[in-house]
Formats: sequence, C-alpha cells, structure tokens
Amino acid sequence: MSVWLQLGEALLWILLIGIAVIEIAPISWMFSTSLRDPKNSFDLPPDFWPTALHWQNYVAVINSPDIEFMLFFWNSLKIALIVTGAQLLTCSMAGYAFGRLRFFGRDILFGLFLASLMVPATVTLIPSFIIIRSLDLMNTHWALILPSVTSAFGVFLLRQHFKSLPEELLDAAKIDGAGYFRIYWQILLPLTGPALSALGIFTFLASWNNFVGPLLFLRDWDKFTFPIAIATIRGYMGSGNQSEVLAGIMISIFPLLVFFLLAQRWIVQGAAITGMKG
Amino acid sequence: MTSTALSEDRVDRQAKHQRSQALARREALAGYLFATPALLGLLVFTALPIVASLILIFLHYDLLTPPKWAGAENITRLATDSRMFKIYWNSLRLTIGATLLNNVLGLLLAVGLNRAMPWGLRYVLRTSIFFPVMTTTASLAVVWRFLLTQDRGVVNFLIGQIGLDPVPWLSSSTWALVSAMIYDVWKSCGYLMVIYLAGLQGIPAVYYEAARIDGAGFWQQFRNVTLPLISPTAFFAIVISLIGAFQIFDNVWVLTEGGPGDASRVIAMYIYEKAFRGFEMGYASAVSFTLFIILITLTLLQFLGARRWVHYE
Repeated sequence: MSVWLQLGEALLWILLIGIAVIEIAPISWMFSTSLRDPKNSFDLPPDFWPTALHWQNYVAVINSPDIEFMLFFWNSLKIALIVTGAQLLTCSMAGYAFGRLRFFGRDILFGLFLASLMVPATVTLIPSFIIIRSLDLMNTHWALILPSVTSAFGVFLLRQHFKSLPEELLDAAKIDGAGYFRIYWQILLPLTGPALSALGIFTFLASWNNFVGPLLFLRDWDKFTFPIAIATIRGYMGSGNQSEVLAGIMISIFPLLVFFLLAQRWIVQGAAITGMKG
Repeated sequence: MTSTALSEDRVDRQAKHQRSQALARREALAGYLFATPALLGLLVFTALPIVASLILIFLHYDLLTPPKWAGAENITRLATDSRMFKIYWNSLRLTIGATLLNNVLGLLLAVGLNRAMPWGLRYVLRTSIFFPVMTTTASLAVVWRFLLTQDRGVVNFLIGQIGLDPVPWLSSSTWALVSAMIYDVWKSCGYLMVIYLAGLQGIPAVYYEAARIDGAGFWQQFRNVTLPLISPTAFFAIVISLIGAFQIFDNVWVLTEGGPGDASRVIAMYIYEKAFRGFEMGYASAVSFTLFIILITLTLLQFLGARRWVHYE
C-alpha cells in the first residue's frame, strides 16, 4: 500500500512541477526572444532565459514611427479605469438599493438582473452593434465604455454583501440622523472592501483583455487598445520581426504581471469567489 | 376621560402612521434613485439587445438598406445550413475536450497544491500556473502562433529533440482544433485549479483524519473523501467551463483564423462572420439564438443541479 502511496505522491509532484513549467515556459520564451537581436529572432534552439539583452526592440516598438504604441497603452488604461470606476459605483449603488432599501417592484427588478446573468455576451453581440451604430458611437471609446458601465454580476455580488451586514449598524446611523446617501457612502462602502476589490480587479482585467469589443467597434489605429493592436501588428510584421512583436506583447502584459505579483492573494481568492470568467 | 385618552392615542398613532408613510416614501425614492444607473445600463445594453435579437431573427437586414420582413425564412434556413452543423461539431469537440482536460488537470493540480509544502514553493507553483489566466487571450494566442509554427516553431523543435516528427499544428485540419484546445487548456487550467483549491479547502480535515485512522491510503482518501465532497464544486466548475468553451472566439480567431478551411472554425466565429462580414444580421441572429438555447439549457442545469447538490454551511 505504501508503495502505491509513494507512487501517487511522486506522480502528483511530477504533474504539478511539469505543468508549472509548461505554463510559464511560453512567457519566459516570449521575454527571452523579445530581447534577441531581430535578425536572430527565429533561431533555434529557443531560449527560455534571456541570452541577449537587445533592449532596442522595446525602444523600437515604443518609438515606432508608424504606430504609436504608447497611445494603445493609454487607451487601454483609460477605458479600463473608467469602466472599473463606473461599475464599482453603479453596482454598489444598486446593490445598496436591492439589499437594504424597500421599494415597490424591488424584487422584480432584482429578478431582471439575475435573469440577465444567464444571457451570454455572444448572443447580444449583433443588437449591441446596431445600438452603438445608431447612437453614432462607432469608432469611439464610448462604444466600449457605455455597455460596461454596469454589470448584473456586480450588482448581485454587492447586493449579497450589503445584505449580510448587521442591521444594528444601520439603525445606529439612522438614529444619528444619517441620510441614505451618507449611510451608503460613509458606513456601508467602507465595509465592502473585499467584495469591491474583487469586482474591481476582474472588471479591470476583463476590460484590459477585451478583444471582441475593439474588433467590432474600433476602426482607426489611434483608437486601438492593446489586444486589437497586437493582433493587427502581427499581421503586418509578425513574419518579419518576431522579437519586436513579442516586445510589444511584453509591454502589454507587464502591468498585469506587476499587479499580479503584488496582489496575488486577493486575485486568487477573488477568482474563486466570483467565478470570474462566468 | 377614557374617550379623550383613546382619541389622543388614535391621533398619536395616525401621526406615527403618516410619519412612517413619509419615511417609506423617502426610502422608496432613495431606492429608485440608487438603482437607476444600473437599471439604465441593464435596459439599454442587455434587455434591449435581447428583444432586438428576437425581432432580428424575423428580418433580413444588411445594415445599409432598411430591414425587410423575412417571416420564418431565417429559421428554416438553419435546418439546411450544413456548414453550421459542421462548425457546431467543431465547437462541440473543442468544448468537450477543453472542459474535460481543464477540469481533470485543475482538480489534480489543486490536490497537489493543497498538500503540505514550503510556503515559497507553493507561491512559485501557484503563481506560475495561475498567471496565464490573467493574460490577454488574443495577445498570448499570437505568442502560441509563433510557438506552434511548423518549420521554425519552438514546439516542433522540442518534440524533435525527443525524436518525434514535426507536427503541422496550425495548418492541418486534424491538428488545428487540437492546437486551439491545447491553447485553451494552457490558458484556463490554472483558473479551474483555483476553483477546485477553494473547494478542497472547504472540506473539513476531520474527514481525512477519520479516513487515515481507518487505514485509507492516498487513492482511497481521494476516492472516498475528496471526490464526493468536491462534487458540488466540480459541478459548478464543469458547467462554467462548458459555457465558456462554447463561446471561444479570440483564441481561434488569432491562432488558426478558423482554418484550414473550416477545420477549426467555431460557432462564435461563424456568428461574427455571418453578421459582420456577410452582413446577414437576421440570419446571424438566428444562429446566435441556437447558441443561446444551448447555453441557457446549461445554465438552468446549473441552477437545478445547484439546488440538488450544493449545500450551504
């Protein structure tokens, strides 16, 4: 029996370490190759650890005369920050209304939010396009921001959270004469840190990584966000200069890497709580 | 005396009643105000699209000329669209393969990571396996496209080192869909690992202690304690994997562009192309409605299943 036990243990270790290596190898290959001299970029054997330090690739990408790479960074960041801020605000406000206030039709309206959780994004793609087009928002960042100013999931998450806070807290505030806005802003929100940060992290990520939205709504280079810009750049120069394309991708995921190393615990916990991909 | 006391009491109660009514009105007003921004978003960008897509199914609309009534033409056309069935077959194979691998790997990795080990090692392993989940699907698909190139690709070089022939990962109709699946598993299994890890950590340690006292080995503990107690988590994880995999788009769009031919085209790509390349909004909506039915069935299954299997503590 103990032989089997040891064998099982050994296999688990091999699997765990093997998969960890496979998961990280493409990223370390990308980093290493992004630092190769472009004329060696396709050379084999591949590097999984930088052997050259050709940082000029990064400079070339950032200073490229044809494409303003840092503009994509700014576009991605701007949209992700606005969307995240807007969602935290609208979802927490609605979460407060549905979780803590009584009004006619509340449960029916909340039921609508729950029902809309079941509608996959792929299905609303076409009518969303027609709506954005008729609002004359094509090729603007509003086309990416407006559809994401709220999320049914966020409303649901925060409503559950607000509902779980003790009633005495609110009674005390009401006796002190606090209005609804003050209760929401000064008493409830500060107690909602973990749920708000989980929602914020995943909203930011979803916006930063969004590909279909920009593909559908953006036409001009100067409006592009990272994912669509990188997919398009590959078409232009992917066969010629692998190193520079990879340098570009490195720049685009670098903020995610830093963010992840700093906030790993909350991100991993949040992923487990929220079922982020939905 | 008694009558005045009574009427005073009544007046008092009436005033209280009015006050509480005013309070209730203020509370209701606050409720509507707080819910309005989210409600507006929901109405314009979820409810309206759903209604619109139901109407679109019965129209011919190419964005340029005004929509024309199509009756049931778009729906009857579905039955004869053999290309759609072929593409659905791709989606189904990709979905089942990716879901199976993601969940089996996710569970095994979680079991592996849930054991005693030095803090630093756990951190390194968890970071490495989870990080790809956070990266951009479309951009990392560009990386994998380079890795999987037939002639000078890294993967073929590595399998050549162990004496295997190069594989036409992206250019052969047998391998293209497999490549999409490999990429999805690489990208998502860390996410499943995290979900299973949360599930495992919810299993009270006393069950394992009891099993050990009864002399259960590693495999017996896994089979008789872990598996039954992880089943609610597994059910949730499998259903969300299925729903996610059925909607795969970025992955295949960048990696294989659906090719060669239609060999790796998936249903979300077909809907996109019918709508925004062919400008057949009505028919594309009809196709997306079939996807909607599949996904809503899976979602309802999850709700019903959750009621049966998941227990709250």
